[in-house]
Amino acid sequence: MSCSNEIIKRNNVTILGSGEKTLLLAHGFGCDQNMWRFMLPALTDHYRVILFDYVGSGKSDLSHFDQSRYSSLEGYAQDVLEVCDALALQDVIFVGHSVSSMIGLIASLQTPKFFSQLIMICPSPCFLNFKPDYMGGFEKSDLVELLDLMDKNYLGWANYLAPLVMGANNSEKLIGELSGSFCSTDPVIAKTFANATFFSDCRHLLKKAKHPVLLFQSSQDSLASVAIGNYMQQQLPDAQLQIVEAEGHCLHMTHPNIINQMLREYIG
Amino acid sequence: MVNTLDNANLDAPGPDAFQCGALITDKNRTIIYANAYFSEELNLQVASLLGTSSDDLFTVSSKIFIESYLMPLLLHEKKCDEIQLALIDGNHKRISIMVSAKMDDKGQIYWSLFSATKRDKLFAELLDTRKKLEAQAKILHSMSSTDELTGLMNRREINLRAPELINQAKRFTHTIALLMIDIDHFKEVNDTYGHLEGDRVLKEIGSRLKTFGRQTDLIARFGGEEFIMLLPDTDATDARLLAQRLHNLMSEIEVNNSPVTVSIGITMSDGSRNLEVLIKQADNALYNAKSNGRNRTEFAQ
Repeated sequence: MSCSNEIIKRNNVTILGSGEKTLLLAHGFGCDQNMWRFMLPALTDHYRVILFDYVGSGKSDLSHFDQSRYSSLEGYAQDVLEVCDALALQDVIFVGHSVSSMIGLIASLQTPKFFSQLIMICPSPCFLNFKPDYMGGFEKSDLVELLDLMDKNYLGWANYLAPLVMGANNSEKLIGELSGSFCSTDPVIAKTFANATFFSDCRHLLKKAKHPVLLFQSSQDSLASVAIGNYMQQQLPDAQLQIVEAEGHCLHMTHPNIINQMLREYIG
Repeated sequence: MVNTLDNANLDAPGPDAFQCGALITDKNRTIIYANAYFSEELNLQVASLLGTSSDDLFTVSSKIFIESYLMPLLLHEKKCDEIQLALIDGNHKRISIMVSAKMDDKGQIYWSLFSATKRDKLFAELLDTRKKLEAQAKILHSMSSTDELTGLMNRREINLRAPELINQAKRFTHTIALLMIDIDHFKEVNDTYGHLEGDRVLKEIGSRLKTFGRQTDLIARFGGEEFIMLLPDTDATDARLLAQRLHNLMSEIEVNNSPVTVSIGITMSDGSRNLEVLIKQADNALYNAKSNGRNRTEFAQ
């Protein structure tokens, strides 16, 4: 394993606030640790809060991107474990948004001692439909169309043809020169994350969870429905489900106060 | 003056006259305003849109994109200049659109929608071309790095790839071995049995070396009847064993019922010398193997 400082730099780790308990906040697909900024002010007074970007997102060191490692959620879970290891964390409260909920679960099964509780915001164990037993909400064709849509948007966002012209060996030189928006990233990397996110099926892991879980689901969320929240609560050995009256998939950004309050009541 | 302007404003056509969609949603994403573009161009009745969720306008994949990119961007940066999405019009047709949106302090979103059908076609063409170019680049790379006859890498490719392997030896303090392999009396094969037979022998050697080598070994056809193997993490004992196995392997190939033999020159290194030097040393050892009677291996002094 690489040395601590390298991991801290690689994953752009930020440590804020102080308190007896430590929260590790993990962003979802599409953006970076800035997603948490609306929740932070109320958290940092009571807890030590650790933020990071997955390799390939935000201000992480893109030169560490490895296509095969980050093609499955296990690769991202490895990032979480390496951050925990680098900071010598123990009994951390893991807070994951969307796909990070499952990444956190995978990590917590691999090295339970790092974690004490898992908080999942708008999670889904599987986005695909498996009729008639499970309705993740999406058909494979929807997700293929999503990748196409990403491609078309990235044409404008990044130097899409440049790697081809410069040759594959030079592509590292381009990395890190992308536009400043917190949602834009290298197209290849983003598509790899999209694939890992939307084609994974973690349903079989729910029953194996070793930690108590708090689930937040939005009452209107086109990515993760209330039914999915109910399904997860049934499958997880020790889970509480909070349905928040809200639109959308970003409760931590749209309803930070409600999430903070319930989170504090739960953690104590 | 002021009056005239006011009157002019009163008479001026409103947002309904614009050839683009204008939409306002409240913080719950409920549509509270839509201009006439929606009924005129998209066959969606404005009256029936009001009070519904803007989510219902879009295709499933666009909804995911909105949740993963557009909404976080609007919440974080309050605006999004340009994003391509697709909506479903009143005839259930999929329409590509370009969206610009901003969010105010109350969480109301002001959407501007522009038709992007032609742009979408262009993008699809670009993506298709890129895919084709990638495939072509792959073929070109393989052509420029592979020896056509044997399927091994060519001299150019091993020259490119050797430095990394040599540096790794230095970094991880491994020893590496470079083997120079030359077919004995190859000229006679060509002269007596023709070039086609010579080519067959080269091909057979190529395919045997390929299956014989480890994945990390670099194996190339270096010249006419000369082959090179650069082996990472290999000591002299391993290299000698390997050379012996190579002699056996090559003798499986026959020309006119007699086995093909090769001479091998080996040099060992800790990564401190470059490829050129290693080749020169192995070549000297190969010369010794030849002058000591062929069908044998010699190490560089």
